Amino acid sequence: MNVRPLLEVRELTKVFGSERTEVRAVDGVSFTTDAGEVTLIMGPSGSGKTTLLTMIGALLRPTSGRVLVDGLDVTALPQRELPRIRRQLVGFVFQTFNLLEALTAQENVEVALNVAGVTGDEAHRRARALLVEAGLEERLDFHARDLSGGEKQRVSIARALANHPPLLLADEPTANLDSYHGHEVMELLRDLARKEGCAVVVVSHDPRLYDIADRVLWLEDGRIKDAGTAAVPAGRALA
Amino acid sequence: MVPVARRNLLAEKGRLVMSVAGVAFAVLLILIIVSLYRGWSGASALFNELPGDLWVAQAGTTDPFRAASSLPADRLGELERIEGVQAVIPVYARRIGFENSGEDLDVFFMSLAAPAGLPLAGDVRERFFPAPGHVIVDSVLAQEAGLETGDTLAVLGRPLVIERVSPGGNPIFELGFLNGADAEELLRLDDYVNFFLLSAAPGADLDRVAAAATAAVPGSQTSTSDEFAQAMSELVNQGFLPVVSVLVALGLVIGGAVIALTTYTATIEKARDFGVLKAVGASNAFVYRIVLQQSLIVGVIGSAIGLVASAFAATLIKRGVPEFVTDLRFADAAGIFAAALVVSILAAYVPVHRINRIDPAMVFRA
Repeated sequence: MNVRPLLEVRELTKVFGSERTEVRAVDGVSFTTDAGEVTLIMGPSGSGKTTLLTMIGALLRPTSGRVLVDGLDVTALPQRELPRIRRQLVGFVFQTFNLLEALTAQENVEVALNVAGVTGDEAHRRARALLVEAGLEERLDFHARDLSGGEKQRVSIARALANHPPLLLADEPTANLDSYHGHEVMELLRDLARKEGCAVVVVSHDPRLYDIADRVLWLEDGRIKDAGTAAVPAGRALA
Repeated sequence: MVPVARRNLLAEKGRLVMSVAGVAFAVLLILIIVSLYRGWSGASALFNELPGDLWVAQAGTTDPFRAASSLPADRLGELERIEGVQAVIPVYARRIGFENSGEDLDVFFMSLAAPAGLPLAGDVRERFFPAPGHVIVDSVLAQEAGLETGDTLAVLGRPLVIERVSPGGNPIFELGFLNGADAEELLRLDDYVNFFLLSAAPGADLDRVAAAATAAVPGSQTSTSDEFAQAMSELVNQGFLPVVSVLVALGLVIGGAVIALTTYTATIEKARDFGVLKAVGASNAFVYRIVLQQSLIVGVIGSAIGLVASAFAATLIKRGVPEFVTDLRFADAAGIFAAALVVSILAAYVPVHRINRIDPAMVFRA
């Protein structure tokens, strides 16, 4: 039986500038990820990791190549369709958490549901359940500014999963966390993603993330240099 | 729905308070100006309240307050004989400057020298027909001169007891009503009157009566009470309406600018938040709604406070400045509130334009 991968990236390329100022930030990257799988993309600073992630997340148009999520070619869709794709198919976890500081933990998750048209009791219930699962039952009514870094990232993960997206994208999710909380957050990300059946793509410098990754891709100068499983590619220095 | 707009505004309470205060002040300014205009316009209502339909005046007289009029008193009989005339009241009217208890006063006195036996409604008699040796003054004059019913007002040395203080008044002139005998002595017009006020019989043709009255008094013209009221309104409108319009427009611009600035600042400060919302899939309509709500919250709260404050301010100011005669009307308040809402919506345009330019990919930058 031929099972279609949940995420399919084909020859994805992004070129900034032109002629003498041309920079190929991402250059012909291809890979696939299945549901429940955690793919870790590593590489030095400036290697194109975040650019790759923003293109997969329908936030940036590629110069060429395709991104298929659950069989849907999101790169072929018109601009006006992209917000719908992001709220239905993609969840984001950011390096700097990006919580709305004026809102409580519960409201930060709820607002993502509101964006997708889920409101009232249903939104309230789902947000609460996700936060309880993320171990934040005692912090539901805390404002984002009053949470610790680890707690903020847990809220961020709960928000990313609020609309049951098939694809979860995480950009340096442990960069602003200490070792203990970083590990804790990554385990939560892996466990919740598996439970929800999401494909997870993480870009990071953090070698501790090998523990939770099913696959590791090494990106350098916009190209994948190595692809393997949980072992640091030989001779690769992390910037 | 999570009240993002409210939370954003409450995150900066100091700024919210100042913005709401700014809008409230603009609304207060507008409503006070409009109600002052209404108060000034109300001066013309007097002509419709006096007991008569037609005014016979010296030719060229626009109204009793702006132009002198002098007519021979002996034409009274001629006028009374005109078919369709029910009653003729000689009217004395003049502005008099005098000193009372060391204070300089400038009062427009009017006297309706109604013939004895003329049937008059009780409230008309109370308001316009004082007994000999008495005077009826309006509340503006009473307040300015510190007078109450029973006090004595010395007009050109003639002591007159205040019989009644009429509610209301207007800022254009302070008004007093004299008894006919007192007026004759004070104004010393001898064989002249200033106007004849004619009451038409029910069903009488006013145009025909007016023409007959003009013919009966050489060098005169006859105007209806409405025409005199209209002339008075035009006087107010010519002098006051352009100023009112400019000030109201300025008030709306200031209020709108305050709302726009608040919403714009709140939007710029929260640009990253809006970027996050767009990144997680919020439609443009979703984020525009937040900006619009922010703008409307400031507009609605500020306007509501401004409207309530206007009522208090008008009362308080009038205590210190008697000429501050305002006429606060529900329709004006509702209109200004609606205008404030429209301005709030327009004020959201600039921040919305700014949000349009936010690239959701910015949220990936640390």
